[in-house]
Formats: sequence, C-alpha cells, structure tokens
Amino acid sequence: MKKIPLLHRKKYIITHEEATVERQLKEQPKLWIYNLILAAVIIFLIVYSFTDSQINLSRFANVWPSFKVMINGFANPNTEFLFGLFDADGSIDKTTIPYLTMQTIAIAFVGTIVASIFALPIAFITAKNVAGKHLSKVGEFILVVIRTFPEIILALILIRVFGIGALTGMLTIGLHSIGMLGKLFAEAIENMDRGPIEALDAVGANLWQKIRYAIIPQVLPDFLSMGLYRFDINVRAATILGVVSAGGLGTPLIFASNEWNWPTLSSILIAIILMVVVVDLVSSKLRAKLV
Amino acid sequence: MAKMYTLSNGKVVTEPGNKSIIYLVIVLAITSFFMLFIPIDWKAINFRNAGFILGQLFTPTSGQTYRDYFAFIVSTPVLNALLETIRLSFGGTLIGALASVPLAVLSARNIVKKPWIYQTARAIMNFIRTIPMFVIAVVAIFFLGYGILPGIAAIAIFTFGIMTKMVYETIETIDMGPVEALDACGANKVKAVGYAVFPQVLPIYLGYFIYCFEINVRSSVILGFIGAGGIGIILYNNVGYRYDRVGGVILLLFVVVVFIQSITRYVRGKLQ
Repeated sequence: MKKIPLLHRKKYIITHEEATVERQLKEQPKLWIYNLILAAVIIFLIVYSFTDSQINLSRFANVWPSFKVMINGFANPNTEFLFGLFDADGSIDKTTIPYLTMQTIAIAFVGTIVASIFALPIAFITAKNVAGKHLSKVGEFILVVIRTFPEIILALILIRVFGIGALTGMLTIGLHSIGMLGKLFAEAIENMDRGPIEALDAVGANLWQKIRYAIIPQVLPDFLSMGLYRFDINVRAATILGVVSAGGLGTPLIFASNEWNWPTLSSILIAIILMVVVVDLVSSKLRAKLV
Repeated sequence: MAKMYTLSNGKVVTEPGNKSIIYLVIVLAITSFFMLFIPIDWKAINFRNAGFILGQLFTPTSGQTYRDYFAFIVSTPVLNALLETIRLSFGGTLIGALASVPLAVLSARNIVKKPWIYQTARAIMNFIRTIPMFVIAVVAIFFLGYGILPGIAAIAIFTFGIMTKMVYETIETIDMGPVEALDACGANKVKAVGYAVFPQVLPIYLGYFIYCFEINVRSSVILGFIGAGGIGIILYNNVGYRYDRVGGVILLLFVVVVFIQSITRYVRGKLQ
C-alpha cells in the first residue's frame, strides 16, 4: 500500500503508521496480562475466603421456602407487639416495640451526648495547633485505643459494672464514640481559621473572650454536624447491644430469631428500618441547616 | 432585653441575643426526655467490680500461670477462629466492593443522565444502608443456615451498601474532560466509563476498600455471637465463666486490629 502523507510540513511528515494514537496503543504495556493476573488473584481470594464455609447447592435449597416464610411473616406482623403502648393495668409496657424503639434512640442520643462531652477535652489535646506535638501524640494514642475496641467487647466489660439494661448500652455507645468524635473534633479545630483569634488579640480580648467569640463560632457548627453524623451511626449500633442484654431492640430480635418467630421478627425489622430512616432524615435535614 | 448602642454616626444597633443558652436548654430537655427510657438501677451498679473484672480479664484464673494464659491465645482453635474472622471479612468486603461498582456507576448523576435510573439506584442503596449488619446476618442465617456463609453474605451486603455510596460520591467529583473526549471520539458509555472514569476513581476506590475491610474485621466480632462464624464464638462460649479467656481474645483482637490499622494507614498513604 502506498504511504499517504497525513500532514505536510516542510521538514516532518507524519504517516498513518506513525500516527501518535496508534503508536501510543502499540507502545502501551500488555494490559490484558495484568488484568488476567488480577482477575485470577481476586478469584483465588474469594474462593479462599469460602474455605470451611460448607458451601454447596443444598445450602441454597432453603432460600426460596425461607423467603416465602419471611414474606408471610411480614404480611402478618405481631400487631400487639408492634403497637402495644400500655400494659393490662394501664402503665407503659416496657416490653413492646414503641418503648424499645424509643429506648434504642435514647441509648444512641444520650450516648452521643456523653461521648461529645468527653471528646471535647481530648480533641483539644489532640489538635496540633492547640496542644504541642508531643501532647497531640498522647491524645491520638488515647483515641486509637478507644476506637480499636469493638462495641460488643466494651459492652461485655461494662455490663459487669453497670448491670443488665439500657444504662450499659448508653455508656458503651458513649465510650466507643469518643474515639471517632475526638478525631473529627480535633480535625475541625486544626482546620480553624486563625484570623479571628488574631483580630481579637489585636483589640485586646482576654482568653475567654477569644474562645467565646473566635473559636466557638467557628467550630460549633462542625461539632454539631459531626455529633449528628455519629448519632446516625449510633442508632444502628444500638440495635446490636441487645445481643448482650444491654437494652434496645436487639434483645427481642435475638429471642425471636432463636425460634424464628417471623411475626415478631418482622415487626422488629419494620421498627428498625423505620427508626433508621426517620433518624437519617431528621439528622440530614438538621445537618443541611448547619452547614 | 437586647442592649442598644448608638454609634458615632447616629445609627442605633442592637446587640445580637445570645442563642447558645437556648440551644443548651433544648439539648438538655431532649437529653432528659430520653433519659426517661434509660432506667438507672443504682443498686445494680458496682464500681468495685470494675477493678475486679479487669483483673479477671487480664490475669490467669486461679491455679494457672501466665504461661497458660498466653498458651490459650495462641492455641489452634483460637487462631483458626481468628483466621476465619479475617477470611470472612476479607471475602465479604471483596464481594461487596466488586458488586458495588455497577450500582455506583448507575447512581452517579454525571454519568447516567436519566433521573429515574440514578434515583432508583440510590433508593436501592439507601434501603440496604438502613439495615444494620447484624440484622442482615440474622436474616442471612435464616436463609443459609449457621456457619461462615451467612457471615460472608452479611458483610458483603453491608459493604455493598456503604461502598456504593462512597464510590458514587467520588464518581460525581471526577474531572469530566476525559469522558467528554471519549464521547467525542465516538466511544460508547461502557468504554467511556472504563477508560475515563475507572482510572480516576481506582486509587480512591482501593482506599475505601481497605477502610471497609478494617471496619468489617472489627464489626464481624458480633457475627460469632449469633452463629455466623468468626472469633466471636470463642468470646460467646467463655463469657460468664472463663473471663481470662475472654480477656485473652480481647488482647489478641486488639493486636490484630492495630496491625490491620497500621497496614491500612500505610497503604492509604501510598495511594494518595
């Protein structure tokens, strides 16, 4: 085939063979080999993670009948349990869903408040622009240690001190959330604008006035928004605590799942999903107002 | 009553009221309302127990030495359970992360222009994200029976939800230049996403993957409590009578989580 000049210049002629895009394509490494190796590694890891899982087709044989049982349960929820507010003698029933849902939200909310109160001083220690480098390392270490313990383990320890019930759940959430809230608060303090502090310095303000008029107005919206975000997470976490009898919706969930009582189980699942959706909506609306 | 000031130019300004008191009162009111649902039984609280239980957790039981204490931590059943925890977290995270890619692309407003598609995709994602992982695990046990299979399924579904959200938010922040360039060359949507979107998102995606893995190792402890595999079963079996073993497992988990966290931090630092 004749070479057709693509572009005429006085000194340089680019032909089709030398067109930059094609040359680029020829020169690029053989990507398919990398992709093949990557795919093989991923498949191997997935297969490896399934060892000892006793995976076979008979495990999946139950899926369809189970699904029908579940749908049947959702169609006939235990309404007495789902809506029951009062006992036979007229006092508030503490074993039904309305009370337990409020208790779950209460565990998350008060837990977040407790965590925020404790996270504040640690955050000021951890923020590099407030405390020095060395003190900041100490604060960071405290926060990492707190964050590392899974909630369920904290609950196991605290339940022996504070007894069975929602108090232990609230304190577990409170203690566990210090780790993340402290870190987020410290980052907010570090990102603070120094301008207002210097301006107040220049007009001769004292320390309290500087904190009140320069630091708090800057960090408070961030703190509130982070607190709300953590509250969101904690509502989900508070459902777990019932597994170790630390209050909330988890305890009836575990009891109902032991005997696969689907009318009760479906009522609890409906309550959990509704609760999370409502809390999500409220907190995202509030956060949108803050920022 | 708010203070009024007369400025030198004759203007009268009022000092803005201090709203922080009002906010504080509101927060206190909500907190005390919620405290109604948290009964405090002062007789049940036993602070002396705090020191006692720490002693029980982190020292050998009577008649045993620290040698026995640490021998239990590195005994085969415990290490096998630990390996199982890591394996099921990793497998679940991997499956969930891979499965999240198509839904994340469908949820991104800058890639999919039709509102009904990305709104449906986001609705699916938001629904999955509302369900706590442990609840997914309970339902998965009902479908698949006990063992690590429902554990992997629960972690995969949970990871699928949060990865989809994080990845689609990342896709929406990418530079659309390369996508438009490929569009202009006549590439179809799939090719445009593969060659222009994925390379931009990949490092961040890997970062999220590692982050999810770290979260999942920690939260998978709960799975053993309900029979979905992992090291939680050893905690569950020993709570109530062998607190030294519980403490040993806590120490082991602490070391493993710190180790994974430092790897995570190292890799994420490299990726950015």
